[in-house]
Amino acid sequence: MVSIRSISSEPSSLSPNDLPWRIVHDENRCTLCGKCAAVCPVNTLKLSYMRKRMPRMVLNSSERGSNFKTFVGIRQNTDVGRRCIGCGTCSMVCPNEAIGPVHNATDRYKFQATVGGDAAKRGGRRNDTSSSLLDRIIFNRISMLTDPALDAGRHEFTYNTILGRVLPPEEYIKRKLSGEWIPPTREIFPFIIGSMSFGALSPNMWLGLLQGVAYCNEVLGIPVVMATGEGGCPPWVLKSPFLKYIILQVASGYFGWDEIIRAIPDMQCDPAAIEIKYGQGAKPGDGGLLMWFKVSKLIARLRGVPEGVDLPSPPVHQTLYSIEESVMKMIQSMSMAWNFKVPVYPKISGSTSAKSVLNNLVRNPYASALMIDGIDGGTGAAYDISLNATGHPIATNVRDCYLDLCKQGKQNEIPIFAAGGVGKNGNVVQNALALIMLGASGVHMGKFIMQSAAGCLGSEQNRCNVCNVGICPKGITSQNPKIYRRLDPDKVAERVVETFQAIQVEVKKVMAPLGRSQSLPIGMSDALGIADKDAADRLNIQYVC
Amino acid sequence: MTEKIIVKGLDENGERISTQIFEELVQEAFSKSKNLVLETYGQHNVGGRLKSGGETVNIEINGPCGQRVGCMGMPGTKIVVNGPASDDVGWLNIGADITVKGDATNGVCNAMAEGKVYIGGSIGARGLTMTKWNPEYKRPELWILGSCGDSFAEFNCGGVAVVCGVDAKTPENILGYRPCVGMVGGSIYYRGKIDESYSQINVKAVLPSDEQWQWLMEQLPTYLESIGRPDLLAELSKRNQWSMLDAIPPQERALMKTGPMPMSEFVRTIWNPGFGGGDPLRDLAPGLDRSPIGLIETGDLRRKKPFWANRDKAAPCAYYCPVHIPTIDRLKLMREGKADEAYTMLMEYTPLPASVCGHICPNLCMQNCSRQKIDEKIDVQMLGRAAKDKAAPKAAPSLGKKVAIIGGGPAGMNAAWQLAKSGVEAHIFEKDTKIGGKLAQVIPWERMPQAIWDAEIARFMSVENIKVHFEVDMTKEKFSELQHDFDHVIVAVGTHSPRTIPFPGHEKVIPALDFLKSAKSDTPPKLTGNVVIIGAGNVGCDVACDAYAMGASQVTLVDIQKPLAFGKEKAAAEALGAKFKWPVMTKEVTDEGLVDAAGHLIPADTVIISIGDVPALKFLPESVEVVTVGGAAWVKCDSAGRTSDKTISAVGDVERPGLATNALGAGKNVADSLIAEFKGEEYHPFAKQLIPQMSLTHTHYAPDNQCGTSESAEADRCMSCGSCRDCHLCETICPEGAITREKLPDGSFQYVSDDDKCIACGFCADTCPCGIWLINAF
Repeated sequence: MVSIRSISSEPSSLSPNDLPWRIVHDENRCTLCGKCAAVCPVNTLKLSYMRKRMPRMVLNSSERGSNFKTFVGIRQNTDVGRRCIGCGTCSMVCPNEAIGPVHNATDRYKFQATVGGDAAKRGGRRNDTSSSLLDRIIFNRISMLTDPALDAGRHEFTYNTILGRVLPPEEYIKRKLSGEWIPPTREIFPFIIGSMSFGALSPNMWLGLLQGVAYCNEVLGIPVVMATGEGGCPPWVLKSPFLKYIILQVASGYFGWDEIIRAIPDMQCDPAAIEIKYGQGAKPGDGGLLMWFKVSKLIARLRGVPEGVDLPSPPVHQTLYSIEESVMKMIQSMSMAWNFKVPVYPKISGSTSAKSVLNNLVRNPYASALMIDGIDGGTGAAYDISLNATGHPIATNVRDCYLDLCKQGKQNEIPIFAAGGVGKNGNVVQNALALIMLGASGVHMGKFIMQSAAGCLGSEQNRCNVCNVGICPKGITSQNPKIYRRLDPDKVAERVVETFQAIQVEVKKVMAPLGRSQSLPIGMSDALGIADKDAADRLNIQYVC
Repeated sequence: MTEKIIVKGLDENGERISTQIFEELVQEAFSKSKNLVLETYGQHNVGGRLKSGGETVNIEINGPCGQRVGCMGMPGTKIVVNGPASDDVGWLNIGADITVKGDATNGVCNAMAEGKVYIGGSIGARGLTMTKWNPEYKRPELWILGSCGDSFAEFNCGGVAVVCGVDAKTPENILGYRPCVGMVGGSIYYRGKIDESYSQINVKAVLPSDEQWQWLMEQLPTYLESIGRPDLLAELSKRNQWSMLDAIPPQERALMKTGPMPMSEFVRTIWNPGFGGGDPLRDLAPGLDRSPIGLIETGDLRRKKPFWANRDKAAPCAYYCPVHIPTIDRLKLMREGKADEAYTMLMEYTPLPASVCGHICPNLCMQNCSRQKIDEKIDVQMLGRAAKDKAAPKAAPSLGKKVAIIGGGPAGMNAAWQLAKSGVEAHIFEKDTKIGGKLAQVIPWERMPQAIWDAEIARFMSVENIKVHFEVDMTKEKFSELQHDFDHVIVAVGTHSPRTIPFPGHEKVIPALDFLKSAKSDTPPKLTGNVVIIGAGNVGCDVACDAYAMGASQVTLVDIQKPLAFGKEKAAAEALGAKFKWPVMTKEVTDEGLVDAAGHLIPADTVIISIGDVPALKFLPESVEVVTVGGAAWVKCDSAGRTSDKTISAVGDVERPGLATNALGAGKNVADSLIAEFKGEEYHPFAKQLIPQMSLTHTHYAPDNQCGTSESAEADRCMSCGSCRDCHLCETICPEGAITREKLPDGSFQYVSDDDKCIACGFCADTCPCGIWLINAF
């Protein structure tokens, strides 16, 4: 029997210094208002009473003994399951700037993240703190006196992109004249809100995003579209005029599609597109799982499932066995659902096999695009190993695919959309335009829009990143109304609008010096440079230093 | 008025003079006259840089005029172009008045700072761009009779334009496409149609104020005179035909948030109507409130809430004690000055507090006492001993039931004690001549003083409802009689059949039980020489002590494994000189002593075996199931002591060997269950969980040097684990003032947290010394 007085040490015992985030609390500033402990999403904060012994040791007097003094401070729980996640909500509510988390680079928690026998999981991002390749690509072909000078503030710019199959001119004219079917296309803003489901996102977040997107379209005339992710769409949204700003996703779980099909006869307009998800950059070859505690009554109703059950989306579609079949069967069925008037495209994870998929799509008359999601993409929940080490960076994937299309002379016919880490360090326009100039027709962004529009606290240092457990301090990825009501959809919408307005400004600030104002510089790789010879050679862009 | 000088743009051969030479000729002429007629032939930049020192300089330009006429024009210069002008009229003009009778092409007034430009026709693109106004000087003005080309007034920074729309080149849009981009100052008066392409974040469409209209009417005749169209005055003086674009000041522009429509208006006019006029989730989740809340909330919006779980969990003393004696409650009563009640309560649990709690029990209560984390465990032995002379509890009214208890050891005694106080007649059938079982028969008086034992036995025997029948040999027949005569039979015979091992010479070995009984008899036998004890547990230690007392010179305890002896027993034996040897496997016992498996002899005059005792159950009816463990049969029963025969229970060592306290506890359990049955109530066994140490706040207690000095010192030191000590600390720490103490009608109290004030910080739980407040997810 271990004595009650003994302090036990177990393999998973951690000291505060072992934790990835340390709470620093200044007792002199603290007013003990309790707000930090009340708000802490993981309940790690507690009021601690500590005893100080002050020995009475006056040498020349006989007096001996000890006095004891008790002092209080806010301390963190060192249990693995209640470790500080570094979200910093405590510092947000502290009236006296007395508390906050500090990142600890020497944490030992990572070795204990397997307590319970499951491998480490989280939401969020890859946690790659090294500098991003996309952040290092610069735009170095500046139009000075050799080209007409453009003024980003004064000139009018056209930077929309085409989502959909673009026929070669002679084919287009032939079909137009003969009244044949012409593949559907959409002129959209090249920055697309990436697929995040109603379920992964809270109702206030999802609807806030859509509200901002609708504002951009209806008030500002910026043709922004957003992808839903798997998990359906509220019927009133399906029947609203805003459906045309939504890319509906079908994934292997087919969640929410009963409601979508039910709503088709009542739709006022067609959706922007249909995205068939085969893979996700953050966790290639791994399925999705909406944990039971996120399957609220609302989500259950939306997805057509019972309340409070785990909802796994398997990594594969059960009825698809080969690439030909996948592409043919799914694209055709989905195209037919809207009478071949809605673009349908697959989304795959970045992979060395992306070119094979692309070439298959080139031969498929109904394929509208290819969306490739690179390894730096985010997710609501995945195993660390999938997030960190599985997948393919987006830049070379897009580049290889685009150059392959160029060889076939098809680069203007089937657009490639890129995702995975776009704006991961905040440089969303730089990253997106680099990808566009490498050959993408547009980008999808998820984490960036969460950070920009809703104040997501996540970082590449594994700050917060608890989207998977439904306790998002900002209310972005929770289905608990006590949490998601913190997020005001109107404010999210306003931030979406501000974000897209600012993106527009930055796009112009890059395009103007390049001398481009009338079309998005897709594949304009002569304007790209990087101070990295290997990367320059691999991407076939200029090495500059 | 000096004489006019004509400067020609063609030389005597009719060749064009270069701009540079022409400028030299103009400057030369200017030095002679302030009235120049320039017969230009496409020379650029003419009419500027002519500083007169107050006198008006008149420049008349005839012939095709080059770019930038009036460029860098000086105040006092008046230029009249008797025809159209090329690009950039008045470029960087700082004060010249320039009249162009015909049209002007692009860039009129670009970067102009002061002066007036009167155009008698229309102008090309980018007029009035980058036009400045230094408040120390007069505003630059541009008057146009017709219309403007595209990109008019870009980045205009204070210039005023008047566009009259007469014979406009583009009558459908007289200000051209996208005027006023980046315009930050000045205003544009216009008369005619424009489109919506003007920069709405830079300028706003307004009507001229009275002051502005007055200015226009004052200036208009001069303009019309200058361009030779005074006839238009009446036509252009109709106020309702004029409109204006006025620069939006930066302060006002800063107020134009996120786009041209406030979000609330968007929601009202576009968003909600898109869903048929309501929340898009109204069918999926009727009544779902998604309205925004803050980070810190009270009431139902909290994610967790406090709960005053007083006495929900057990203190370690009560939890670990097999009798579950709530020492914390005794000490609480003492703190409240109710010492008598404290002892009365103790007597409810055990008839042997002084002997068992006070002496022979290893005191699991103390071993697990939380106070050890501060200084010393609470001295429960002292508390037990102090109960030696306290009265037995008064019996409740008779329930009219009779229970037979076979065996008067601690299990049987406590069963009888509990039954008796609840009004049940308890008959003990004891084989021996005294009560107390092994406590009486084998525990050396050194470990349990006889005076205390006798006092407690006397108290026990004095209880009215307890009848003891001595020297009863139990048989199947007798047992059956008891079953018939009593409402229930409790088997509490303990283990009185020593376990032995059939090695050669085993008949020479004395069982420890027999030895101890004889040692404690009135005539203990004498021993000499070496004594070897097989089995080095605590009973073996008792044997060793007695052996020394009876004359042994050396006692050796052998065991096949590491000796299990611990605590006081082991210490006492060692103090007397006992040696422990292990591993020793006995091969045989001879007259010389014990021979181990390796053939080594351990010399012994006496060999005693102390490897435990087993029950003797020959009297049991077959309806009672037994289990066989280690070659002996033990009665099988549930936690309340009930056997497979519902009229028979079994408690104490007969079920499984244990401490005397285990036997006392088992006796209480079976009695409690029987009493419940007799009363027709549900039996509630002790089921509280142990309070986690983490939930206590040890820091409120400072190490004390009064440990164990008195009952009241122990009462003060007790941490009252899991039981509110009414200290008001929670009330004090609560930052929201949500916690209050409420008196209940029965005289007790409770602490409550006001849901409307509580923010669920958990400080109450973090502060509570006793671990009462819990913060539960909610």
